[in-house]
Amino acid sequence: MNFRLTAWLTLTAMATTAFTLSACQKDAAISTAQATTAPVSGGTLTWGVGTEPTCFDPHSSSQQNSFFLIRNYVDSLVAKLADGSFAPWLAKSWSISEDGKTYDFVLRDDVSFSDGTPFNAEAVKANFDYILKNSAVTSASASLLVQYDHIEVVSPTEVKIVLKTPDSTTLESLSSVKLGFLSPKTLSDNKDLCAGGPALVGTGPFTFTSYQRGQEATFSRNPNYHWAPAFAQNKGPAYLDKVVYRFLPEASVRTGALSSGQVDLIEGVQPTDIGVFDKAEGFQYLTGPSATTSFTLNINYTTGPAADVRVRRALRDGFDLDAIVKSVYLGTVRRAWSNIGPDNADYATHLKDSWGNKVEQANQLLDQAGWTQRDSEGFRTKDGQRLSIEVGYPQPYVRDSRDVLIRAIQSALRQNIGLDLHLHITTAGDFANQKATGNWTIYPNTDNPSDVAMELWDMLGDRGFLYNAIAKSDPVITGDINKARQLKAGPERRELLGKIQQYAVDQAYIVPLFAPAYHVAAKSRVHGVYFEPQLDSPGNSYDLWATPATQ
Amino acid sequence: MTTSQPALPDSILSHDTQVPPADVRPARQRRRWPLGVILALLFLAVLAIGLVVPHWLTRYDPLLSDVSQTLQPPSLQHLFGTDRIGRDVLARVLYGARYSLLIGLASVIVSLVIGLVIGIAAGLGQRYLNEPAARVFDVLSAFPAVLLSLFVVTFLGQGIVNIAIGVGIAGIPKFGRIVRSRTLQVRRANYVTHAVTFGLSRWQVFLRHLLPNVLNAIPVIATIDIGTAIIAVSGLSFLGLGPQPPTPEWGVMLAESRDVLRVAWWPSVFPGLAITLTVISISVLGKYWQRNFEGRPQ
Amino acid sequence: MHPLIKRILARLLSALLVLWLAASTAFVAIHALPGKIEDVLAGDLQYPGLREAISAQWGLDRSLAWQYGHFLERLAHGDLGSSYVMQQDVIQVLSSQIWPTVQLALSAGVLATVLALVVATLTAGRSRLSRRLASAVELILASTPVFWLGLLLLIAFSFQWRLFPVSGATGWKSLVLPAVTLALPLAGVLSQVTREALEQALEQAFVTTIRARGLGELALRLRHLLRHALLPVVTLGGWLIGSLLGGAVITEKMFGRPGVGSVTLNAVLSQDLPVVLAVVLLAALIHVVISTLLDVLYLFIDPRLNTP
Repeated sequence: MNFRLTAWLTLTAMATTAFTLSACQKDAAISTAQATTAPVSGGTLTWGVGTEPTCFDPHSSSQQNSFFLIRNYVDSLVAKLADGSFAPWLAKSWSISEDGKTYDFVLRDDVSFSDGTPFNAEAVKANFDYILKNSAVTSASASLLVQYDHIEVVSPTEVKIVLKTPDSTTLESLSSVKLGFLSPKTLSDNKDLCAGGPALVGTGPFTFTSYQRGQEATFSRNPNYHWAPAFAQNKGPAYLDKVVYRFLPEASVRTGALSSGQVDLIEGVQPTDIGVFDKAEGFQYLTGPSATTSFTLNINYTTGPAADVRVRRALRDGFDLDAIVKSVYLGTVRRAWSNIGPDNADYATHLKDSWGNKVEQANQLLDQAGWTQRDSEGFRTKDGQRLSIEVGYPQPYVRDSRDVLIRAIQSALRQNIGLDLHLHITTAGDFANQKATGNWTIYPNTDNPSDVAMELWDMLGDRGFLYNAIAKSDPVITGDINKARQLKAGPERRELLGKIQQYAVDQAYIVPLFAPAYHVAAKSRVHGVYFEPQLDSPGNSYDLWATPATQ
Repeated sequence: MTTSQPALPDSILSHDTQVPPADVRPARQRRRWPLGVILALLFLAVLAIGLVVPHWLTRYDPLLSDVSQTLQPPSLQHLFGTDRIGRDVLARVLYGARYSLLIGLASVIVSLVIGLVIGIAAGLGQRYLNEPAARVFDVLSAFPAVLLSLFVVTFLGQGIVNIAIGVGIAGIPKFGRIVRSRTLQVRRANYVTHAVTFGLSRWQVFLRHLLPNVLNAIPVIATIDIGTAIIAVSGLSFLGLGPQPPTPEWGVMLAESRDVLRVAWWPSVFPGLAITLTVISISVLGKYWQRNFEGRPQ
Repeated sequence: MHPLIKRILARLLSALLVLWLAASTAFVAIHALPGKIEDVLAGDLQYPGLREAISAQWGLDRSLAWQYGHFLERLAHGDLGSSYVMQQDVIQVLSSQIWPTVQLALSAGVLATVLALVVATLTAGRSRLSRRLASAVELILASTPVFWLGLLLLIAFSFQWRLFPVSGATGWKSLVLPAVTLALPLAGVLSQVTREALEQALEQAFVTTIRARGLGELALRLRHLLRHALLPVVTLGGWLIGSLLGGAVITEKMFGRPGVGSVTLNAVLSQDLPVVLAVVLLAALIHVVISTLLDVLYLFIDPRLNTP
């Protein structure tokens, strides 16, 4: 009997304690939730990201997904805001000369690199010199400086950038992380800057603490930081003590890592996994803007079957892009009408609903072009040659189910018009070789500049990224693009940019596919997730803070 | 050192401890085939049809994607469901049979031919041939098969032919050792000595006695080895080193199915099931053959 | 000299020979490639000083014989060269990633052995049904590809029942599924072999004697026959290690685990020869060392071989 009684008493005691404890916890949770509208300083957050940067040097990297890591330690002269205007950052103010060739910047005098070196005009010049001296490896950044003539160091806080011809893409380029600043000491040390780690010193809100290849990169707060860009909420040092970026190349692995709590945020949530986090208890799901570029097939119109405009138009119209995009991305992204992102101010809105999915016409075009025979697998042939065009997609840039999309299109084109769109995942080196000799056929990509003239110049301009080595580019479009770059920002420029986009689509030099957006999921206790306007990607971790875990 | 090992795992697998020894069975009795063997033969028959005339078994095109039917679960319309871009999984499994089976077969042939040549040369030759050949087999089996194949692929590049070569090279010791020991056995056998005494030329001894007895052991090993080869080859394809998408090779299909595992089990279960059932069927047949028809030295 | 010592020495010499042959084959393979060695090793890379570094490390300006000797000497000292793709010494690359793989291989190996021993001990010589069942299960497991088994386990235990994490290497929970995936097919083969050995042992004369003395069945199996059961495991030890190392590559890719396996796979895909070479040679080394040890162990525990 005694035993029985003791047992019951213990049980009741335990139950009561448990109940009160949980009630107390709930109260604690509620009060913390109510209390934390103000950012909390301290703690470490871990990201799970899909791409491990092959290079951490802002001047040499060309991977879009490396930039939001690099932004943690690299600042720029000016900051681009979501409405397309520019705000001061490391430069306090600036003026542009009447002829548009000289940009005069007054720099802040209280900025220093995290190794103690002061940030001044000399540092600006050192970075530009570095980019131009090593243009073989810094080609992505060097291409932004094509019109650059020289820099004048007027005083430690004033610097003039002088151009050969007026270039209205200049401010946009200067807001890019690619023209951000590393410490002159780092640059002159002549070590391999792609390797990352503490040797890579910038002025940013974090310092690059460590990099474990294949695993993660870690950044620690820079306590002296107080020169934040205008698009950030925070003004002083970062909230977090440390932030860790873990490299998880597979989408399902990232999803699993966040849902089991191993990481606090992930970027690159695949469409089938959005339901795990969107409107789910304990998680938040955010989508970024599509203001830079759409994922586009760039067709080399100077070579092979694609030199015939009928073939290109047939390719463009030979499949139902709407259905394919909706099916692969489950309605989470918009199909594209132009290679410029639909959220961009200079997007050619009149292109909407103007092309695509005209299979019968596509077949007629191919018949007219002479591709009338068929081989045993159903592909069209002419003079014994199969109608085959290769899409060369470099492995380091493959992400976001884009290869799945191309395969679906490949299948549709085969079925609908008998065209063999042959997808080949190449190495970065292969593609560099093809580009250098002008031998690429179709190059699928999104591009980073959010300035439309810059983007068009990169993809279609005669001295841009793709057509640099090709002699026979179309003078109509390249002429217009060069002109647009020189025009000052305004309605005339916008109209010309719209005309160029329309021409490019009409000639099927490009087949825009979809407007990608970054999909970020995080635990609900994480706050301050934002997307950098110039990149469309998640911003760096400067504004991030987290309510401390209650459990 | 490894030459002192008892029989390798694969041939040990062939022992089934339930069948009574042959001399106990009444002679002339017509035994029914065990159920397992019948099932195995049936499955392999279906596979063979899939290999040669897959369109008899499915009306779908394995490469055609129907974007209105993505990730459909198995139904009357699509018996194995559809994958991420709307391709019929059953069609892909059937059309994919040829890749795994033929590449597996090719690698076994590579192992067989090279193993045969080295094994016989070793068995017949003098000391200076015999010992090094045994060492060659030791070296090859010192590398785990997967790693050796990876090594070969690094040099030769990715692709169907190269993984067949890689897996083939890794499988040489299996054949080579048996061939070598059989050769040695036969060479020392009485009837060979008698044959030589009776004046048969060496070439005739080789053709009439040695070769048949050595080759006798091969088919059973080869059959069982095909199973291992198929798993190895589809494993390398799974890692991305073999045929590239959209080829419906089973390993490639498994790799493609990983991202949607959370919402769809059928793109991964059926190709893997195909591999497993193929290997089981071949093993069962191989064991049966070995039990009842394995050639003994005459 | 004691015959046992003689045998052990023979094994060691044999092992060394194998290692030397393996290294030489690798050397020949690299130099047999078309194109200049610096180009092959450098691949797509381009930074300043790269070609000179490669040339210096491999001694490409010297005679072939010198290069060969230098290569062997470097290996003997444990210098596995540098990976140019990753710009790190290979030793650094491997040692930073080796712990998760060791964890995986060890736990899978132990699990496979224990499973096999347990099942074999319990089912050897018992009723026809239990032997048939065990045999069937073993066949299925041995025929199941590791990467499919992993997918099935993920579907059941990670996605359906949320018991174990999908990937990663933090905590013991993330080790469970990968270890089980790697262990089961191996356990299938081991179990077959062990059970056979046990059944052969059970037919021996001394067993009847022990039974006549009244010893229980389980005690009989555990105390006397374990030795016989362990024999095939020991002889298959080399094969087991090899399969564990090879299977680790696939399992790590499957479960998104860091480790030597995923490093190797990336090296193969980016044609990073020094890393692949080093991993393959190391694997051979481990295989040879363990096989030799097990061979020596075999000499001690096989009762039949104790008479000189």
